[in-house]
Parts: sequence; C-alpha cells; structure tokens
Amino acid sequence: MEIITKAKGGNVDEMAEKVFMESIRILGGLKKLVEYRNLTWLPSLAEAAYVIVLRNETIKTYREIAETLGITEQTAKNIATADEEKVKSYIMEGGERPNEHIAGGIAKLAYKTLKQKGELEKIEIKEEEVEALGIDWAVHVLAAIKGMDFPAEKEALKERLHEMKIMGKDAEEILEKIEYPVKSPAELLHKIKEKLHD
Amino acid sequence: MPEYKYHELGDLAKEAPKLFGIPTGTKLDEMFFKIEEEDGALVKKPLGGLPYLSVFNISGIPDTGKSLFAEQFAAYQASKGYKVLFVTVESPANFLYSAIKEKCKALSLDFDEVEKNIVVIDASEEEELRENPKALMETMAYAIKEKKITNVIIDSITGLYEHKEVMARQIVRQFFNFLKKWRQTGLFVSQKRSAQASESVEAAGGLAVAHIVDGTIVVDKKLIMSQREASLYKKPIGDVIRLIRIDGCRLSGHDSRTWVFEITELGIVNIIAPLAEYIRR
Repeated sequence: MEIITKAKGGNVDEMAEKVFMESIRILGGLKKLVEYRNLTWLPSLAEAAYVIVLRNETIKTYREIAETLGITEQTAKNIATADEEKVKSYIMEGGERPNEHIAGGIAKLAYKTLKQKGELEKIEIKEEEVEALGIDWAVHVLAAIKGMDFPAEKEALKERLHEMKIMGKDAEEILEKIEYPVKSPAELLHKIKEKLHD
Repeated sequence: MPEYKYHELGDLAKEAPKLFGIPTGTKLDEMFFKIEEEDGALVKKPLGGLPYLSVFNISGIPDTGKSLFAEQFAAYQASKGYKVLFVTVESPANFLYSAIKEKCKALSLDFDEVEKNIVVIDASEEEELRENPKALMETMAYAIKEKKITNVIIDSITGLYEHKEVMARQIVRQFFNFLKKWRQTGLFVSQKRSAQASESVEAAGGLAVAHIVDGTIVVDKKLIMSQREASLYKKPIGDVIRLIRIDGCRLSGHDSRTWVFEITELGIVNIIAPLAEYIRR
C-alpha cells in the first residue's frame, strides 16, 4: 500500500531547473565548471536534479522515474539515496572519492537548500493574476526600462515611459514628482508606488 | 459580446456517464436500481453498487460504522483490481493499513491484491494537506493521474473543515467538483454531531452539504433502553440497533427504506433487512 505523507504538486520541470541551477551554484558556479573543464558534469547534474524532484515532489516509484528519464532503475535509486553529507565533504575538502553518486549528492544538497529557503515552490505569478492584483503596471514599467543604466535621471526615464498610463495616471506626471537619481529598477517601482498612493 | 457556454441537451449524450454500479461489497449494492425495458415492460434492475461516477456522503454520529463501511468499500474495490485512493484525515495511515488487512482476512479477500491497489494520502499527520485544500487536491491529482485511480474515499471530509465550519459548503463543493473533473466515484465520510437528530437535514452531513453531493447514506444507532424497545427490536435492553438508509440519490433510483445492519466482531458491515421486515420477524 503506497502511503503519501507530504503534499505533492507544482511544476516538476521548473523545480528540476531550479535544483539544477542551485547544484551548479554549489559547485562554485558555471564559471568554475568551465575553468576546471568539468562541463561534462552537467548532464549528470540535470539527470540527478530530475530524479530528486520526481522522487520528492511526485509519487513516482523508482521504476516510473527510470522510465520517465530513460535511465536504469538502479541509477535512479543511487541518485536518490546518495549520502549528500559524504559528497559535500568530498567536494569541499577533497580526499578519497566516496562510493556515492556524486551528482545525486549535489542535487540532494541543492534540493534541501531550496526547500529550506522555500524557493522551490515559490509561486510564479501569472499574467492574469498580476492584472487582477492591479500590479500589472510594474511589469509594464520593467519591460519599458529594460536595458537602461542605473542610477537613472528623469529625462532618460521619461523617454522610456512616455505615453504610459499607471493606474490611470500619466507616467510622465508621476516621474515629475519623484526624486532623482533613481538608483535601481526596484527603487523606481517603489517611488512610483509611493506617488500612486499619495 | 461575451461568449456564454451552453449545451443543447442532445449534445450531451456522448458525455453522459453510463449508469452502472460500483460494488461496495455490502447489501447496499442491491439498494440502488435502474429502470430497464424488458419485453415491452419497465422493470426495476439492481444497479449492483454506488452509481458510477457518483459522489456520496456517508454520514452519522461516532461509532456508527462510517469508516468501517468506507474501508470495506476500499478493500472490496481493490480486491477486484480497481485502484482506490484513500485520503485519511482522521486515522494515521499505519492504523488504516492494519484495519484494511484485518478486513481482508474477515472477508476472505486477497490482501496482496488489495495492498497493491490502494494508495493512501495521510493528511492526518501533515498539516498542510489537512489545512490547505489546494495542496491536498494537487496531491490527489498526482495520485489519480499516476496511479490510474478510479475510486476516491475521504475519511473524513469533516476533518478538512473542523474549526472552520462556515467553510463547509465551499470545501465540500471544491472536492465534489474535483472528483467530477477527474471522473472518480467518490465517498466522503461525514461526521454528524450527536445532538443532531437522525431524521434532521443535519443528519445528511450538516450545513447543507447534502445538497452538493449526489446522495447521502445515513447510518445511525439506537441504544435499547426500554422493555417496549426490547420487544420491538427483539434485542435485550442495553443492546444497540444499527440503522442505515439512502437519503437521496440524484443519479439513480434507490431503496428509501431504513434497513437494519450489524457490525460483526470482525468489523464488517452486514446489512440485514428493512426495519419494517426486521420487526415483523
């Protein structure tokens, strides 16, 4: 009798991507991998990221995971049961290579980190939800200022945001009221929001 | 112009579910029926179980056999090779395991087969599953999709809205719609407060939830406390008489009488006879 004790769901592909990226970060970033000519690790990491997400976030058996990914059941098992602590100390401190699935251990570390930070299930807000929340203007502003250099001055911002309406008000009018220079896109949104509520 | 969705009645013929029974392994199976034409005459034919794709409530006060019935239904369906999803909100999964194993022994069902075909979601110990209907439904969707589930039992649906009873209708509606969307035959165990009389609308689940589901099975018990009752029910004073009835079913015809049933020492629900007949015996 299969017993499920944890909530399952969410987007597997998205979660696997996040685990994959976090695994690379744990290894010191993509640049480090290039420098040490370790790019061949990437396929194993991708595979391991999927196994870990499928094992922990869905209710697939090892056999089903193996079939989904086109790997053997034993590989899926080795990845999911790798001792991440042993792998961690091997990566950090070197020494003798443990008899564990290295990519599996790294993906598990990445999965745990994301899970602890609550970043794995972070809800991505969809377009219609953004509109329903009345915060779609922020998306439009960010799209309009894409590629701009910050800190930014009034004229540069006005050029990008001219003719734009923010919650019924002229963007240019709002830009007149805020203080310059604006240090970052986040600060711009913040300042616009303040003026909207004035 | 906004687009409104409507159907001509005739268009729905292909989508309409076939009417047949999903056996529960109890006499209840003979209490649902359909009308068929035979040699030019209309005859009543037993459905052989809960109507396919129906969602039923089984409602009653504590110790009336609701969970036993639900477990029996799960074990019986699983023994026939159908995949059952059992969402346990009250009893932790390991206890449910033992209960179903015992049930299989008592009913001479092949436990290996049953075990293979039941998937359990244990919401009893995981707060997120109990408190967040969306998380539970996503988990259920996974199980239904990946394990090819056809029957779903939630024991109990009341456990999903305890301490927020104003949400009862909303939560029952969400799970009802969910099971309809995933084309499941469903059984919700619904707890009734002992203060609510068995003939009251609350007996059917309380807070008008009975209006949402396709039908309700009401189970009740009565303690025999007078000589008159003892001679009426032919049981000694202090014994319990157990009653079961189908309180409405919108998908098929059903027996509307109150029946007497017993819970055997092995925890099996055994429906005996209609109350009127039982008394006449």
